[in-house]
Amino acid sequence: MSHLEKVFETTDLLLRTEHSLCPGCGEPVALRTILELIGELGLRERTICVAGIGCYTAFPMIMDVDVLQALHGRAPSVATGVKRVRPDAFVFTMQGDGDMVSEGLQEVLHAAARGEKFTAVVFNNAVFGETGGHMTATTVLGQHTKTTIGGRDRERHGNPIRIAELIAQLDGSAYVARAAVHTPSGIKLARQYLHDAFRTQLDGKGFSLVEILTMCPTDWFVPPDQGPAFLERNLVPIYPLGVIKH
Amino acid sequence: MEREIVFTGIGGQGIQLMAKVLAQAAVDAGRHAMLFGLYGGAMRGGPSESTVVIGDAPIEAPPIVPACWSIVAMHPSALPALLAKLRPGGLLFANETLVDVALDGRAVVPVPATRLAEESGNVMGAGMVMLGAFVAHTAVVPLERVVAAMRAALPPHRTRMADANAALLARGAERVRTAQHAGAA
Amino acid sequence: MSERALMEGSAAMAESAVRAGCRFYAGYPITPSTEILEYMSVRLPEVGGTCMNAESEIEAIGMVWGAAGCGVRSMIASTGQGISLMQESFAELANAQIPIVAVNMCRGQADYFQATRGGGHGDYRFIVLAPASAQEAVDLAQLAFHLADEWRNPVMIMGDFLLSHTSELVEFPAAAFPEPSAKPWAVTGANGRRGITLSPLGPPEKLSTDIAAALGAATAKHAAIRAAETRAETAHLDDAELVVVAFGFPGRFARYAVRLARERGLRVGFVRPISLWPFPRDVVATAAQRARAVAVFELNAGQMIEDVELAVRGRVPVHAIGGISHDHSGFGVGPLLNVDYILERIEAVYAA
Ligand SMILES: Cc1ncc(C[n+]2csc(CCOP(=O)(O)OP(=O)(O)O)c2C)c(N)n1
Ligand code: SF4
Ligand SMILES: [Mg+2]
Repeated sequence: MSHLEKVFETTDLLLRTEHSLCPGCGEPVALRTILELIGELGLRERTICVAGIGCYTAFPMIMDVDVLQALHGRAPSVATGVKRVRPDAFVFTMQGDGDMVSEGLQEVLHAAARGEKFTAVVFNNAVFGETGGHMTATTVLGQHTKTTIGGRDRERHGNPIRIAELIAQLDGSAYVARAAVHTPSGIKLARQYLHDAFRTQLDGKGFSLVEILTMCPTDWFVPPDQGPAFLERNLVPIYPLGVIKH
Repeated sequence: MEREIVFTGIGGQGIQLMAKVLAQAAVDAGRHAMLFGLYGGAMRGGPSESTVVIGDAPIEAPPIVPACWSIVAMHPSALPALLAKLRPGGLLFANETLVDVALDGRAVVPVPATRLAEESGNVMGAGMVMLGAFVAHTAVVPLERVVAAMRAALPPHRTRMADANAALLARGAERVRTAQHAGAA
Repeated sequence: MSERALMEGSAAMAESAVRAGCRFYAGYPITPSTEILEYMSVRLPEVGGTCMNAESEIEAIGMVWGAAGCGVRSMIASTGQGISLMQESFAELANAQIPIVAVNMCRGQADYFQATRGGGHGDYRFIVLAPASAQEAVDLAQLAFHLADEWRNPVMIMGDFLLSHTSELVEFPAAAFPEPSAKPWAVTGANGRRGITLSPLGPPEKLSTDIAAALGAATAKHAAIRAAETRAETAHLDDAELVVVAFGFPGRFARYAVRLARERGLRVGFVRPISLWPFPRDVVATAAQRARAVAVFELNAGQMIEDVELAVRGRVPVHAIGGISHDHSGFGVGPLLNVDYILERIEAVYAA
């Protein structure tokens, strides 16, 4: 028998390793990265996650941390209330692009401007995944959705919003970065950015945000294995990866 | 028994302060009181009204009273409508400098509040003169309580005015007492 | 030790909330609830609490959700318009069984339906309390926090411009209720236990999907609340031929008019629901059994009258003697807040 080196281990903060999301979905990859970090940093006992409403709303029941479920768009305000009364807690929000940038844009802007000391994580798949593939405020020009048949058109549907750059402009934000989970190196970077955002919070420095581009093959109308290429081709040019503010 | 007192005048005459001081003095004297002020947005010149109800038990009357025991009129503009609320035998205190006191046979206690305040070099203090006269005449609360409540009611940056106000309250009280003596003689 | 002070109803209510252990408040200015925000912004930091001048009512209720979800006694106040914006959160806070105290300093009494039926979605209920004086605002604020925790259900206090702005002598009771019991449902960080989810969408246990059970638990208590938490003030019901029903601060005008009617020899009784939900249905029904008629005074187009009619069940006629009433300000202090007017209406109904 050959000697096997252990190169991968699932975090025990995931109570179940199978998920109910679509094959090829990027959100479970992002979630696992977050939970691994929380485990490694020894934050589980002080973690309060505030979850938004989207496909990722399936996650709280399999995450072995305390989760406060918020309404669609409202997580930044709820997290504000949590962090203000529990300043020692490690607080992060988990929202989608529809949740944060469409429904709740005002909430995240104000929370960032106030410099609330929690970490906002947004899974940007440029679509309302959960409702079945409709245009959000981050749907890119030309992207086909059920409400932009024929592609998002500047004249008819307006322009996408770069949330990370918007947040970075505000004085209360201390760390802002954008990552993607469509390649192994991308996941590694996402991990690094999340780590730095968490540290920003732990050091009491202000608001931190990590935007993570995630695959949604189902609502991009491509086969699961085409998700990463679609993301690289359509999203990365509009949403460049990297640290935007630190 | 509940005693309802309605203060009426215009913004800038200190109507709200008079009422507040009286209500606070009543509470400090161990009695129950209710206070409700209505005034327009204008700080100066608009109508201003405030109601105080004093009693020995929790106040039953609503803050917009159907009838009152006394009216304190610093200015005539809103007085005609109010007079209908004055109970038979009720007392009208009138700032005779500005209010015509010849009011169809009602008992009027005239107090030249604005003139006395002017004589003291403090025209803004007419309300304090009137309040001094009111408590001296009605004895609803002791004057010392009113002085103490007035001192407590002034914001910190106005404590300088407290002594001046105390003098004005005394001036009004003294005016009533001399008038009463004159009447008795 | 109890303390007494001359205070506006809004400040008295806010002070009472702080004494009841409220440590988080969020609000957005709107007349006539702004005074509570102003008071809390000074008072809460003195006791180590937090007051947030939120950027919108929707954000304010989100913040209160977060603080209350951590088990901290939390309050929010607004006026009808702002309360309307909070309805989605109200409905789901009840489903998540997160206790909060919400104050509506209403303009007039137009928000009775909003408070008792809820403007939000689903099967939820708020316990609704309506004080008629500054002292009752103090007492009901204490009760509200107690009931919210005991039942794990939001409680609303309905006030109005007059309650907010009328100063009265109030006494703060020493300790009205026992310390709140432990809150194992609150999110605290999963220290020494498995994580929990505090959610309006499903159960707290991980890996469970029993949504029906979770929503069932949030609503099953309604019957018990009805049985235990119905409150009303009554007067002169023994021989009443006409029963006047009125609530909140305007109810005080009606009570005074009833007193004057009695002085004139009319056999008029009085019911003032203190809990609007649960509505004191039995009290009204019993009073109506002995009377010829019921008259409802409320400052709206006719809302509580439906609850009165449900209680009376057609046995005697129910008359509306209130109505929409405003002055130029639109804050609900209108010409119907007039004891003589109410007395006239009582006399007219009595003579009919
Ligand atoms: C107030 C409100 N409006 C609409 C919805 C319906 N809704 C549920 S999930 C969702 C879209 C979520 O999109 P996003 O946040 O991008 O997450 P994704 O599903 O793409 O992961 C919407 C619109 C809702 N739950 N609440
Ligand atoms: S719809 Fe999109 S975002 Fe939702 S689970 Fe499927 S792939 Fe993921
Ligand atoms: Mg999305």
